[in-house]
Amino acid sequence: MSNIAGKAYAMNVITPIRWYMAWINKLIFKIALSNPSTLKGLITLSLIHYARWVIIPRDNFPRLDPSQPKEELNYSYMLFFSNFNGSWDQYVDSFTFAIPSGLDLFWKWNVRYPKSVPLTPFHDYIRHNQIDTAHYYNAYPMAASNDVKSAQKIKKALINFNAISADKAPEEFFDDYNKLLNDLQHHFGDMKPTPIVSLSADAVRKRYLQIPE
Amino acid sequence: MTQKLDLTDIQGNIIKAYGRYNFQKARYLFLRIDDGDKGRKFVGAITTKVTSAVPWGKQDAEGTSTVPQATTNIAFTFDGLQALEIPTASQKGFPEDFIMGMSKRKDILGDDGPSDPANWDKIWKEKVHVWISINGQSIDAVKKRYEWIQEQIEASKGGVVLLTGHRGDKGEDNLPYQDASVLYDATGMPTPKEHFGYTDGIGDPVFEGQTNLAARVLGRGKLMRDGTWQPLATGEFLLGHVDEAMEYPKTAPSPWLLAHNGTYMVYRKLHENVGTFNRFLDEQSGIFNGSKEMLAAKFAGRWRDNGAPIVHAPDDASKTEWDKRYAAADESGKRKMLTDFTYNEDIHGTKCPYSAHLRRINPRGSLEFGVKDAYDTPGALVNRRRILRRGLPYGEVKDATRDDGNHGIIFMALNADIQRQFEFVQQQWINYANDFKEGNDKEVLLGNHDANDPGKVVFSAEPGSGKPPHFVSNIPRLVETRGGDYFFIPSITALKMIAGGIVDPT
Repeated sequence: MSNIAGKAYAMNVITPIRWYMAWINKLIFKIALSNPSTLKGLITLSLIHYARWVIIPRDNFPRLDPSQPKEELNYSYMLFFSNFNGSWDQYVDSFTFAIPSGLDLFWKWNVRYPKSVPLTPFHDYIRHNQIDTAHYYNAYPMAASNDVKSAQKIKKALINFNAISADKAPEEFFDDYNKLLNDLQHHFGDMKPTPIVSLSADAVRKRYLQIPE
Repeated sequence: MTQKLDLTDIQGNIIKAYGRYNFQKARYLFLRIDDGDKGRKFVGAITTKVTSAVPWGKQDAEGTSTVPQATTNIAFTFDGLQALEIPTASQKGFPEDFIMGMSKRKDILGDDGPSDPANWDKIWKEKVHVWISINGQSIDAVKKRYEWIQEQIEASKGGVVLLTGHRGDKGEDNLPYQDASVLYDATGMPTPKEHFGYTDGIGDPVFEGQTNLAARVLGRGKLMRDGTWQPLATGEFLLGHVDEAMEYPKTAPSPWLLAHNGTYMVYRKLHENVGTFNRFLDEQSGIFNGSKEMLAAKFAGRWRDNGAPIVHAPDDASKTEWDKRYAAADESGKRKMLTDFTYNEDIHGTKCPYSAHLRRINPRGSLEFGVKDAYDTPGALVNRRRILRRGLPYGEVKDATRDDGNHGIIFMALNADIQRQFEFVQQQWINYANDFKEGNDKEVLLGNHDANDPGKVVFSAEPGSGKPPHFVSNIPRLVETRGGDYFFIPSITALKMIAGGIVDPT
């Protein structure tokens, strides 16, 4: 069990929210989605691979099978699911200081949410409500989302370049090639294994893969 | 928030970079404590000579300088504090990184291959408990203080042992101390340079409680939304003070008096592969559109000769102009020219590459990538990752074509949280670059480049110009770790408590 696979850290957090307040959160999500500038901090934080917030109504908690009895729940719940680069301990500071008001807005109506600054109560609140990852598969362990975005951009540009410039005269081809490099200059980062962000997670990985110490 | 620090209680090396006060020589000693009682008495004796952070006036009433000839400071590893028998309840309050020590953190730090602890100076195979530093205005002053410390060791009657095993200039591998010194130019004048020729130690962080803030804070504090600079919170660098997260650092042991006004120090002996660096620079400048010095500046973010920030002097022509302005500026104008800049005017890294040492260790506001008001504050990703840098070069370069001489830097980083500050910068920003959208491209000078799979960096061209970026490929390992550990620098009050055996967290 590890919350880390390759360059990604998986975070599942489920926090109670009073059922009669859940509609406010839904409204906040809606406004945020229709007004992308509210999410620009989140999007600029390139360490984040993915983030999603969902409200689960108290009478609609998922069951594995219709035969599973419905639970009697006092609260509705907000599920936060995210993958990001590094580890929670490493990057909690980056989240908190980059987008404190965004975090506070999304969690504000959740039961006992402490606010994102000071940091320790926030860190503890998330950790307390976090569901650790029992099974975590990462198809591209060497890729962070930046790597994927860059790879897609390079692939598209190369196909395009081939179609347009392949048959040009050498000088023109050379100019086109330089222009291609210029267009892609921020997408040439090497893709290699992740630095070891957690010694315990790395020990788990090595034992699992039976890599000798 | 104004903050007045108790400078009589804080060890001087935290507040003062001694090198700036004409302390040109230093000697670092490492000791083992074999007996708790005798060890505590020894600490008590050393404490009488420990240099505090009290400012040195220019002259006292009699007209003699109050600047001492030599300073002394002391710090402990976790094992050292155990050997001094501080209570278990106090021990438990120390953070994981400090408890483990540096060599066990090698995978976090990327200390692999030639930097692996197996290749460190022999002393790091010993049980290192205590670090003592002597900084002197002359080598004689250093030697005198060293002799005094030897007498105290002698007086401990076997309770404290001075450890040997440092490599030296003449190929020795068993020296009882590590010497360090500023480098001198051809005329014998001291310089602020290190062995690769760079001017070092310009942009140390500035925090609440230091003096003369207005003049020093530009480019060195935290960048605010309105473009001004404010000092960082004291708690980023001193335990027992509020930090940037509006709380007291979690890394503080109890009782409060043990932690208050103390901090953590990362001591690293970094060997510089001078021959490889010179060859690499020559070879790469042959295919670079600019001078060799300009290329060297692109690696670091500053020009080697005078530290001119490349973001304000991006090529040879503009450097000439910058030099003229610099020559005409007064002292405060000069300081401003060296430190007062951001990367907002260079958000694509056309002038100062994303991979440049300076940009990697202190990205200023640039991790917003030019997105207006992306974060609550432009320094959101930076303000919790700053470190105070202390230290001096060691050894001398006798043959600039070779790597195997005795030359490098004794690097000391001071911070309240080793994992969050020093280790984060070393791992995420020096040896990796996702935060800079550069994948695994390592910083050129300090990165742990792999000889079997060498990396590269990209120097951006003007976007939309049609010009190709410049690639620097096959980067060799230029700097290798030769030893080090994590230390706790207690306040002078805490030193007296440790020495008296009266640390009690009850």
